[in-house]
Amino acid sequence: MTILYDEGQQAIATESRRVLEARTSTEALLPLLESVGEYHRPFWDTAKEQGWTALALPEAHDGLGLGLIELGLIAHQAGRSLSGAPFLTSGFGAAKTIELYGSDAQKARWLPALASGESIGAIAFAAGPDTLPAQPDVTFTDDRLSGIARGVSGGLAGDVAIVLANGFGMPVLALVDLTDVERTPLQSFDNSRCVANLSFVGAPAETLVVGTAARDAALHILALQAVVTAHEQTGGAEVLMEIARDYALTRRAFGQPIGAFQSVKHRIAELYGLAELARANCIHAASREGADDFITAAAAARLSATEAYDAAARDCVQIHGGIGVTWDLGLHLHMRRARSLAIEQGSSLFWEDILVDRLAEEAA
Amino acid sequence: MSDLETYRAKAAAWLESMAPTYGREARKGLAEADDLALGRRYQKAKFDAGFAGINWPTEYGGQGLTHLEKVTFDAEEMKHGFPNFYFGISLGMPVPVLMQFGSDRDFVKERVLKALQGEEIWCQLFSEPSGGSDLAGLRTKAEPDGNGWKINGQKVWTSWAHYSDYGVIVVRTDPTVPKHKGLTYFWVDMKAPGVTVRPIKLAGGDSHVNEVFFDDVKISDDHRMSPVGGGFAVAITTLMIERYVATDSAGFGPHLDLFVDLAKNTLLNGKPAIEDGRIRHQIARNHAMRSGLDSINVRARLMMQAGMIPGAEGSLNKLVAVRSRQKLSELAIDLQGTDGFAFDEHASQKENWASSWINAPTGRIAGGSDETLLNTIAEKVLGLPQDHRPDKGIPFNQIPA
Repeated sequence: MTILYDEGQQAIATESRRVLEARTSTEALLPLLESVGEYHRPFWDTAKEQGWTALALPEAHDGLGLGLIELGLIAHQAGRSLSGAPFLTSGFGAAKTIELYGSDAQKARWLPALASGESIGAIAFAAGPDTLPAQPDVTFTDDRLSGIARGVSGGLAGDVAIVLANGFGMPVLALVDLTDVERTPLQSFDNSRCVANLSFVGAPAETLVVGTAARDAALHILALQAVVTAHEQTGGAEVLMEIARDYALTRRAFGQPIGAFQSVKHRIAELYGLAELARANCIHAASREGADDFITAAAAARLSATEAYDAAARDCVQIHGGIGVTWDLGLHLHMRRARSLAIEQGSSLFWEDILVDRLAEEAA
Repeated sequence: MSDLETYRAKAAAWLESMAPTYGREARKGLAEADDLALGRRYQKAKFDAGFAGINWPTEYGGQGLTHLEKVTFDAEEMKHGFPNFYFGISLGMPVPVLMQFGSDRDFVKERVLKALQGEEIWCQLFSEPSGGSDLAGLRTKAEPDGNGWKINGQKVWTSWAHYSDYGVIVVRTDPTVPKHKGLTYFWVDMKAPGVTVRPIKLAGGDSHVNEVFFDDVKISDDHRMSPVGGGFAVAITTLMIERYVATDSAGFGPHLDLFVDLAKNTLLNGKPAIEDGRIRHQIARNHAMRSGLDSINVRARLMMQAGMIPGAEGSLNKLVAVRSRQKLSELAIDLQGTDGFAFDEHASQKENWASSWINAPTGRIAGGSDETLLNTIAEKVLGLPQDHRPDKGIPFNQIPA
């Protein structure tokens, strides 16, 4: 697959930017930080209305039959505009799991609902620092889940979840309807992510994959989501670099724009470099879905995007000086988002290990 | 298979067949004079096989193809360690500029053909002791002398001047106007009376760069390749010619695979170093950086193939790759501990960590220092303000020293 965007793809990028820039604002996002359980409904309504929820799902199940490249373009714009909910990525992950590993009945039950956005999907693989635990906290016995899945993004609003569980010492990838599952919201630094602990007490669940294949499947889903998230992070890094650049052009000190000082202009040039490397890795990774080196490419995209967004958040605030740390300017929305996206889909520590294990194998 | 892929396959096959005679193994242990002689024969073989001057006009002995074929060939050629670096500058910049701006066309044609066949080498006399990044601040002067000019001054960092037959040079012809406006571009005969070449030994022990002194060197006016006072524009053309050259995300140092191999075969605290978190972190970061550059470069090539102009992100290549190579080389030496003391000053920078490390600073300075490149990105790509320049608009001879 080529890494040059075609006209249709460019139109997706342009149109999604136009819509999101018109419908999101710092003023709308700031209050969400101070309430638990709320997300930016206009963002999610837009995602459904524009068909972004259906974008990368198969046409046979009401999807649009496009792929990671197109969804990545949307995520990039969502990152630029600080998407108001995590469901685009988690819903894609859940739907992709059902598409790849589910039965016909499971597909029929969930895929159209996820494609329309009527149902919200969530992914519960991690147990704290363990991104893909060998012994998950949640157990799977007699088609029922028990135990607590901690810190699930979107978990508070989710209708269906894919859970990595422990079934008699074997990993199991299970599908669970969240309707009757108790959720405990987490007060977090980025509350619109709707993070919750899911408490399963014998919740009826269905198996998707069992045994070592379950862990491989989970890693594959995680990598798909990581590529989407990496696009979102890159969008965030890119817009922060632009905000820093624009501020450095207008803010004056010592008789000149601060962007004329090398300590400032070089910092911004470095951010440009980080954002472009991340963007290049994202485009490459999105084009490798289905190829042997997909996990490696996803890891590289994820690592460079996390680095770029964190660095851009740090430096953009720094370049603004005092105004940069005010509540109202809202740069902290990006600081917060950079960190929540860094944790979702596994942190850099996880992806470094995934990447190096593969590089070491190749060199063998 | 696309036309370009067919071309790549053809080039790869030919290069493969040349490797035993001219490649890495054939060059092992050769003294520089013998290596240069081998290089001249290799350049002639390239010419005969139709791989010299790939994107040059056929009337000058070139192949009349595009820079895509050229970059494709270069990328394949890089794999074999051929002795082609003696001609890199010569055919990269001075000779193309001569083709474009030389006034005596018969002379030009003869020179181009000899250069393409490795018989003659050209150097580029730009940098001076008083400034490298600040090209327009140069001080070497040419004064009218009869019908021609007389050159006095000193150039420095001139690659391969000691083997060069000719050179292109930028000099100051009018010190009473602002610095960019008083420069003129000429070619010179490097064997002319008054030209003295003195090699500079670099930190790594290598001496391919030189100081070049001009003492009353007389040239006729037909050596002039720009209008009087219009030399800066031609110099900039020179620097733009090879804007999309074959790049190397390894920063012209060792491939990351070599580091992974080293980490697998080195014990650290009783375990293979590949299991050590600090080492893993660096491998992962370097891989992500290099794969990003590779993707940027593939995309640039695809865009050129599609007749589009590649994005400005190509300007990141040298900046990002070479400074990373420097740090990774330090870590590779750390990893070897006392075994890392071993040093062979003739070892390849692409295969040996110590050689890569000690020569890395040259890479971070030559062809635009890191700081200059960051300024270029900030100013040309992002539109940030130029630095404060106290010499701006002031006649050269009134700039405070």
